[in-house]
Amino acid sequence: MTPSTLVKQSAGTVALQAASRGRAFRSTVAVTAAIAIVLGALGLPAVVDAYTISIATTALILATLAMSTQIVTGLAGLPSLGQAAYLGVGAYTAALLANTGLTLGPALLAAAAVAGAAAAAVTAPLVLRTRGTTFLMVTFAVGELARTAASQAVTVTGGDDGIHVPPVTWWPGGAPLRADGYLYLYVLGCFGVLAAAVALLLRTRLALVLRGAADHEMRLGALGHRVGAALTAGWVIAGALAGAAGALFVAAHRYLSPADLGLDASALALLAAAIGLGSMRGAVAGAVLVVAARDLIGAETGGHALAVLGLVFLLVAYRQPVTRRLRSLVGHLEHRLAGIVAGGRR
Amino acid sequence: MLTYAVTALNGLAYGLLLFVLAAGLTLIFGVMDILNLAHGAFYLFGAYLAYLLSIGGLLELAAAVAAGIAFGALAGVALTAAMRPLTGHGHLAQALATIGIAFLAADVYVTAAGGAPLPADPPTALAGSITLGGHSGLGYPVYRLGFIAVAAVVALGLHLTVTRSRYGVMLRATVADRQMAAATGIHTGWVQAVAMAAGGALAVGAGVLGAPLLGPAPGVDTTVLVLSLIVVVIGGTGSIPGTLGAALLVGQVQTVGVLAAPTFAPFALFVVLLAVLIVRQSASTRSARVVPA
Repeated sequence: MTPSTLVKQSAGTVALQAASRGRAFRSTVAVTAAIAIVLGALGLPAVVDAYTISIATTALILATLAMSTQIVTGLAGLPSLGQAAYLGVGAYTAALLANTGLTLGPALLAAAAVAGAAAAAVTAPLVLRTRGTTFLMVTFAVGELARTAASQAVTVTGGDDGIHVPPVTWWPGGAPLRADGYLYLYVLGCFGVLAAAVALLLRTRLALVLRGAADHEMRLGALGHRVGAALTAGWVIAGALAGAAGALFVAAHRYLSPADLGLDASALALLAAAIGLGSMRGAVAGAVLVVAARDLIGAETGGHALAVLGLVFLLVAYRQPVTRRLRSLVGHLEHRLAGIVAGGRR
Repeated sequence: MLTYAVTALNGLAYGLLLFVLAAGLTLIFGVMDILNLAHGAFYLFGAYLAYLLSIGGLLELAAAVAAGIAFGALAGVALTAAMRPLTGHGHLAQALATIGIAFLAADVYVTAAGGAPLPADPPTALAGSITLGGHSGLGYPVYRLGFIAVAAVVALGLHLTVTRSRYGVMLRATVADRQMAAATGIHTGWVQAVAMAAGGALAVGAGVLGAPLLGPAPGVDTTVLVLSLIVVVIGGTGSIPGTLGAALLVGQVQTVGVLAAPTFAPFALFVVLLAVLIVRQSASTRSARVVPA
């Protein structure tokens, strides 16, 4: 071994060590940030007023729906505009069960998730037959048909008048959850469980196959993966998650009407997923941003929350082309500046 | 029985309304590959225009239609310009941008016209009704019959334009293969701009003429958008006769179906959608198998 290769090797080792130290530092930062976010989320009821707490609850519910959308959109590459349909199925399941006397929160959550999964399994043959823009159209149609069905099945759902739902309990025989702070903590706890489940899902082989299907479905099929089965599984899991979000929705609002499962909910979940650029954490952050834009900033505009949301949609849509244009502009300016500086030196 | 006949006639009017809308949607989708989720907002703009301008006379109605077509064409061209930076960034960006436009439009409508549905009456000359089915028959609004006639003429005109005219040939070539069409000397940018203007004009024009059938109110934009999307999926993109057939089918399901079985009408649309997708996919795989072998 010549001295020069030895030097190269040791330089490489040093670089590697530095990189691993950097990674360790970054992971420490990430862990600290995660702990801070969890503590902040837990301590929120002690700090802010009831109105802000109810907005935070809404954000957590939209975050759950956004995770459901992200499984389909970010992971499997299929933009869904109909996840609110499964939220609706879960929400009506939880609401009807609660009205028969079963008010145990976790049981309602499980029942709603099962109902959402079942509805997704039934609609999968239709929805997963399509790709791209047609997928967008068909999921949108499924969402709107679910809303129409809910408003016309008056005997079951109460129609457009909606139904009132009794408050849920943490454990059998526990006190009904009515106060905004406790409701928020209940929804936060359920959200934590669901988010942990999603984090586990992302480490499975299924998640890899879904990612592969998004990139090159035919090649994956040629390699022997059962892409259709994987997509169905992903779609059903997303449906279960949306159904669970529905149970949280009725627990938080104690009221449900067909308007709650319309295009707006699906579109906002898709917006949150798009803000997250394919990442699950990003989708959750996106949901918080969207709800903040609508309920905190929108409330300041005197009833123009829709316009604020419209602007957010446009901002997210044009983010990529605009940043690319800006970057090329900056590069161009730097080039010119360098030219001027060089010219001055000469 | 007569009730069903009248309802079926309503279904025909509703179906033709959906056809005019969906024809605009499929034109925009076919020529620019843009899913215009603001199409319902275009319709609603026309409906509010009818409420503002069409106040009793036939002349006012004509003025409203002319204004609607002009604004619609402008909106179509504006949409082309707005979507140009998004080409190559996927359908999600387009969908988000057009939803954003729809949200902004909905906010403007509610601010300008309030949250309550507004009446949009037909011109007084067409406001009466004629009796169908002999002496014991039911009255049927003249305006609806007029609407059916006008929409049928629009459908025929569109079909002839696409299949017979010089522009139709250039349009079909552009939809089939834009670069190849450009290589043969067709000015594809111009063809696209005209198609987008026509798509916008069809949507807003449908709003003006359809206002007495499906009037201006918040939420109507989503209703007509989803129904015209279903029509486009069932009818297959880029086919005028297919779109017409699908629109008439959806019109009947939404009227006769709702009358016969209110709870099942949404599911009926769902089943039709599923059946069409299954049939079309098996047909396409069959034709795909023929080629490589």
